[in-house]
Amino acid sequence: MSAIPEHHVVGRRTPRVDGEDKLTGRADYTVDHRLEGMLYGYPVPASIAHGTLEALELDAARAMPGVVDILHHGHFPDLHRSPNSMRQGNAVSEVRLPFEDDRIHYHGQYIALVVAETLAQARAAAFRVEARYHRNAGAMTGLAASDDEGEEVGQYTRGEPELAFGIAPVILDATYTMAAESHLQLEPHATLAEWREADQRLIVHESTQGVFYQRNALAHIFDLPPEQVEVISHYIGSGFGNKLFMWPHAVATAAAARLLGRPVKTVLPRQQDMMTTGHRPASRQRIRLGAELDGSLASIQHDSLTETSTIDRYVDACGGATPVAYACDSVATHQRILPVHHGSPCPMRAPGEASGLFALESAIDELAVALDMDPLALRLKNYAHQDPQRGLPWSSKHLDRCLESTAERFGWASRDPGIGNMRDGDEIIGQGMAAATWFAGRQPCAARVTLRADGVFVACGTQDIGTGTYTIVAQTVAELTGVPVARVEVRLGETGLPAGPLSGGSMTTASTLPAVAAAVRDALAALKEVATGPGGSFEGLDPAALDVAAGTLQGDSRQAGFAEILARHRLSDVTGEGSAAPADERQEYSFRSFGAHFVEVRWDPGISRLRVARVVSSIDVGRAINPVAARNQVEGAIVMGIGMALLEGLDYDPRDARLINANVSDYRIPVHADMPEIDVELLDYPDYRFNEFGARGIGEIGLTGIAAAISNAVYHATGKRLRDLPISVEKLMDRT
Amino acid sequence: MMETIEYSPEAAVSVHLTVNGVPVTAEVSPNAILLDVLREQLGLTGTKKGCDHGQCGACTVHVDGRAMNACLRLAVMCEGQAITTIEGLAEAGQLHPVQQAFLDHDAFQCGYCSPGQIMSAVALLEDPRVPGDIVTVREAMSGNLCRCGAYQNILAAIQDVRLRRHGQEGGDDA
Repeated sequence: MSAIPEHHVVGRRTPRVDGEDKLTGRADYTVDHRLEGMLYGYPVPASIAHGTLEALELDAARAMPGVVDILHHGHFPDLHRSPNSMRQGNAVSEVRLPFEDDRIHYHGQYIALVVAETLAQARAAAFRVEARYHRNAGAMTGLAASDDEGEEVGQYTRGEPELAFGIAPVILDATYTMAAESHLQLEPHATLAEWREADQRLIVHESTQGVFYQRNALAHIFDLPPEQVEVISHYIGSGFGNKLFMWPHAVATAAAARLLGRPVKTVLPRQQDMMTTGHRPASRQRIRLGAELDGSLASIQHDSLTETSTIDRYVDACGGATPVAYACDSVATHQRILPVHHGSPCPMRAPGEASGLFALESAIDELAVALDMDPLALRLKNYAHQDPQRGLPWSSKHLDRCLESTAERFGWASRDPGIGNMRDGDEIIGQGMAAATWFAGRQPCAARVTLRADGVFVACGTQDIGTGTYTIVAQTVAELTGVPVARVEVRLGETGLPAGPLSGGSMTTASTLPAVAAAVRDALAALKEVATGPGGSFEGLDPAALDVAAGTLQGDSRQAGFAEILARHRLSDVTGEGSAAPADERQEYSFRSFGAHFVEVRWDPGISRLRVARVVSSIDVGRAINPVAARNQVEGAIVMGIGMALLEGLDYDPRDARLINANVSDYRIPVHADMPEIDVELLDYPDYRFNEFGARGIGEIGLTGIAAAISNAVYHATGKRLRDLPISVEKLMDRT
Repeated sequence: MMETIEYSPEAAVSVHLTVNGVPVTAEVSPNAILLDVLREQLGLTGTKKGCDHGQCGACTVHVDGRAMNACLRLAVMCEGQAITTIEGLAEAGQLHPVQQAFLDHDAFQCGYCSPGQIMSAVALLEDPRVPGDIVTVREAMSGNLCRCGAYQNILAAIQDVRLRRHGQEGGDDA
């Protein structure tokens, strides 16, 4: 390992470089784009969840002003499916093509796309489309309504978990359930597609977390060479996973644009967005723990069942973190999926493990109660000093420091463990805690850097979904060139740029920055070549002897600015290319991020009011490249965790699987008034075994463990162990 | 800057607005929503549509100085009224103090709700009926959802502006 570098821009608070555009309304989100001659698409959703579309009555809609065409099963081009492969980079969220047949698999499935001259006309006409259905009996309304155990899709075993459970002196066997959650990203899904007949090019503006995946999928679907498909996404009104992979609205919109020879824009209305573009699936998880009297874990068994749709096989792997969470010789996880008549689920922030750690970290708390042990002490007792799944050392793990620091700042030592013993006026105080963890991964990435007289231009085909990627890329360039952040222009979110990774899995930072750094070094090498060549400012010097500082090359007690060197040789710029990919680091180490959440809830039984009053967290993600944005990620994840624990659940009608609360007030998310005091500490232990900047990524980890910490605090306040999320207030009210 | 725009065949009503200080006459259909007129007819896409049902606050604009959801208002109801959108907040290229405070406090992530958050914040800071304590401010801002969860920083930005203003005026904060 090389010497630890000293950074001046990386790791320092940096205002977002895209901030002014976002805060003045100039930022061009997909929904804001407009092209000459553009038409508007408006989908018509199925009003049943399980059955057949028998007939569409379109005459009234067709006669509405401005209607240009209506696409549907009987009037749609013959397209191909995407291979739907992660390895090939063409995964899609729903593999079925729009209007593929007359079968209805979920409420909201598109039965038509109305295309008209204006948004108002398209919308008005869409409401005039009439459909006749044959409803099938026996819609699968959700796993809660079924005894079906589904199909096993994955398992892991080490040691003898059943045997160890059978002989353990203290055991816990509990089942935890969670409602499906909506991502509810504020910018709805949107596509603006343009077909250029002359050169057979499909150009698509999409609010997406993965421009290259969508390009590759569209190329397969429209049977075009990938070079003839372009996908652009400069600003994304967030995604949280449901904009990772393409949904059918994009296919329908692109097909309409090609068919009609005019650009078509479709922005999903909120209700349709919630019905058709994914959710975190509902889950049922059984946890069995066996422990010695001193708290040593002898056995962990984690059996998960999650919903999928009848048309896709989405696996929300709840047990992903269970084999590595604690030092325990006997561990088993089983994962099963159950098809139901909902739209296809998809990854949602910390997919699988956010649900899994709710169950596991609740169970650990229950075990602590059974053992009469402090839950913090129980976690330290079973601390995994190395990766117990792979037997490798951690690259960098400071969970112990997270737990100690958080406990100290929270004041855990003064907690009275008795149920309901802590009071403040009418309120009963509950205090709970849980650990957090999320894997650290990297994806291949390429970047291009151009040194110009007026600054540096850097390009990479990844995206900034609000996490701050534009800014950390600019910081990296500024760090390595000495050019101020303000003079670094960052271009992301285009398939015309060097291929970049998905914005997902908390992998973007660790994937992108090493590629950007490599491109900067390549560009600097090109500049040094020029400067040391004939007629150069450093003619005859060894390029390796030149230093870079403050936008200049320095050597032999002289210095020359980038612009001066370029001007001297009549060059507009020099360009460098760089790429990075996971290497063999995983053969020697295991990489994960860690954290701890301590939560105080207040329960006022007189008025049945439950609120989260205080959250204290410490997060160990290596080096935070931009601490201000990194902290924001964790705070935002905590807010989402409050929603998961107390508020959020998609409600499907138990009679027919129709989604009841597909709107922003019946599906409740935290608002300003729900905010607790939040104290987030980012530990600073750079993980240089992972990459040269020591960063592991921070988007998801804050959402892991938080729901368990809240649930554990509710138990401490009320004595009620509520194993079903969300913990809505009626579940706490005393029934008399 | 803006003039009469012929829009759609069924447009039947002329509505006279002052949008960001500029008089505008728009030909709108009687059921046209203010939000759609701003975005689709006047090209002011800074005002965002998040739900179209008055549930998320992303479309908050000022109508004669009051913060309102543009998705819940017919354009024809605004005859003669002054509309301010996020595009009208910065003056002479200088960010409004609330915009600047949002930047300084990182009071956003994806930025999609930010125009609405900012318009609500500006209105409440100028509303003498709204006390400045954090409980009241949180309540007053609760019509503006932020799914990225940047609420803590949004509150800090608002309170920072309040503090600076009161500092200038020599008053003390509630």
